[in-house]
Amino acid sequence: MGASPPRVADVVNADATLIGRKAWSDPGLYELEKKGIFGKSWLFLAHETQIPNPGDFVQAYMCETPIIVARGRDGGIHANVNSCVHRGLPVCRADHGNAKSFVCPYHSWSYSVEGKLQSIPQERHVEGRTDKSKLSLKAVPRVETWHGMIFGSFDPEIEPLEQYLGDQRWYLDAFFERFENGIEFVGSPQRWVLNANWKLPMENQLGDVNHGPFLHAAVIPPEANAEVFDHGYSCVAQPGHGATFRLMPEDAPLESVAWGFEGMASLLSPEIHEYLRELQMKAEERVGPIRARMKGLTYGVYPNLSFLWSNTAFKVSHPRGPGKVEYWSWSVVPSDAPEEYKRILRGNHTAFFGPGGLLEQEDSEAWTQQYLGSAIDFADDRPYFYGLGVGEEKPHPDLPGLVSVTANEFYARNFYLRWRDALMAVEEG
Amino acid sequence: MSDDFRASLELQHEIEQWYYREARLLDGREYQKWLALCAPEIRYVVPGRGNPLVDNALRGTEEMISVERELEERDGDRLPIRDETLPYLMLRVERAFKPNSWSENPPARTRRLVGNVEITGTEGETFSVVSAFHLHWTRPGSATFLYAGQRRDVLARAEGGSAGDLRIVRREVILDMADIEYPTLGLFF
Repeated sequence: MGASPPRVADVVNADATLIGRKAWSDPGLYELEKKGIFGKSWLFLAHETQIPNPGDFVQAYMCETPIIVARGRDGGIHANVNSCVHRGLPVCRADHGNAKSFVCPYHSWSYSVEGKLQSIPQERHVEGRTDKSKLSLKAVPRVETWHGMIFGSFDPEIEPLEQYLGDQRWYLDAFFERFENGIEFVGSPQRWVLNANWKLPMENQLGDVNHGPFLHAAVIPPEANAEVFDHGYSCVAQPGHGATFRLMPEDAPLESVAWGFEGMASLLSPEIHEYLRELQMKAEERVGPIRARMKGLTYGVYPNLSFLWSNTAFKVSHPRGPGKVEYWSWSVVPSDAPEEYKRILRGNHTAFFGPGGLLEQEDSEAWTQQYLGSAIDFADDRPYFYGLGVGEEKPHPDLPGLVSVTANEFYARNFYLRWRDALMAVEEG
Repeated sequence: MSDDFRASLELQHEIEQWYYREARLLDGREYQKWLALCAPEIRYVVPGRGNPLVDNALRGTEEMISVERELEERDGDRLPIRDETLPYLMLRVERAFKPNSWSENPPARTRRLVGNVEITGTEGETFSVVSAFHLHWTRPGSATFLYAGQRRDVLARAEGGSAGDLRIVRREVILDMADIEYPTLGLFF
């Protein structure tokens, strides 16, 4: 056994302006995270557009636990742990597909897509009968959806999803509600394993747009950064969630406000411009005057879901131990866009983010280097400084929650205070 | 792809030499020269590689275990790793020459071995070529990685061009990865 974990109160100070390196590297704290965060939160699983028909399924994870998310014969959504109740093997090996049943390869115990044990081939050679109704796959006790986003929780007592999201919904709706027929998750996620701690990609998307002009100076033009400084806001509707965006001036040209004009895809494909203009012209009617001027950057939903509005990707940071993360990215497009436009818009994600991305090349480098820095010895008296802009966040007449400039690190302090509370609750038993 | 196409020795030699030169340019970080090998209309695609459900109806057939079934995104209707045109490749090249492209500062040391060069068809001065590669990659402070894969290329002789003057019109890179445990798939494969 290694040394016992440090006390949580010693790792994150009372206002989260100082955070010890062990927060990212200590195996004992990671075990507390599993219990206090991943066992107690709503975790994003999949989007309904990925499983439209009965029998459709996709794989997901809740922390390190593999989950099958399936559309049942009853049309309902079922989330079950992908592990046979007989010897624990996964009963589903494919990433996605349409199945009539899931069969364990070891002894061919088979389960319905809803997770009920259907047959035990060996049973006919013994005299006793087994009560199969008690041997279903372990069901995720709570599954709820919002705007087609499917979430699960291992905590049967957790508050309803909508309450958990709270006013973060107002910010998410600024995107979702723009599209008359909603959005679609395109295909399977890109799944990328990095030697980094799960919290840093999350923190990056919660509100850290200020690394852009520096880490990404090779790719992001100075004008784009100026827009973030001039019109950028960072908002925390609830501690742990975050939203950053630019609130463009009322007289800004439509193309400089509209979703989709950012990024190379629309630059290179003028045929899509009329479509994007029309979307923006309907925006005020659909999301109101303030949110129609919102040009989103990054969003985070506690604990590990993020949304990159500017490049239209949803991402989940799945921990694989303190020093490893499996980072999933999905491309998102308006579900009623013509197929060719979906293909074009997808490029805004794939060229810049994900494992082949021009920008995320630098992020992943930073995240892996941060883990190395967090795992060094003899430097525990140099916790990381999270104190930029302390107390400068304020309520805003038009925007829910606390609001500030993007350089204020309050989004991160709020996240780590929630982390601190969650881990201390486990510590205290 | 035709299994019975036979390229002339001369053409086979020309194309193999061209691949060796391309590998040398990329390993030597002569990216501007490499970019000049790309046709203006180039499409550069790296499909995702998934784990599809086994289709029982296909049992006993080669299709059941075909590589193609794992490339569900290759037609562009789902989510590839990359799907790029010349301006994207230009941006990648431009980035490589900036000191603040931190993931390549210091730059990676690479060695590409290209083999199994098979010309599968020609149409006028356009050639379909399948080849295999191993790409050894390392950076100071980083582990060493071996990328392996297949290139499915369409090469075209430049208008009025001499032998060896070929451009990449299309490149599809089939990576032999299970999980993506590489630092980046943003390389020139």
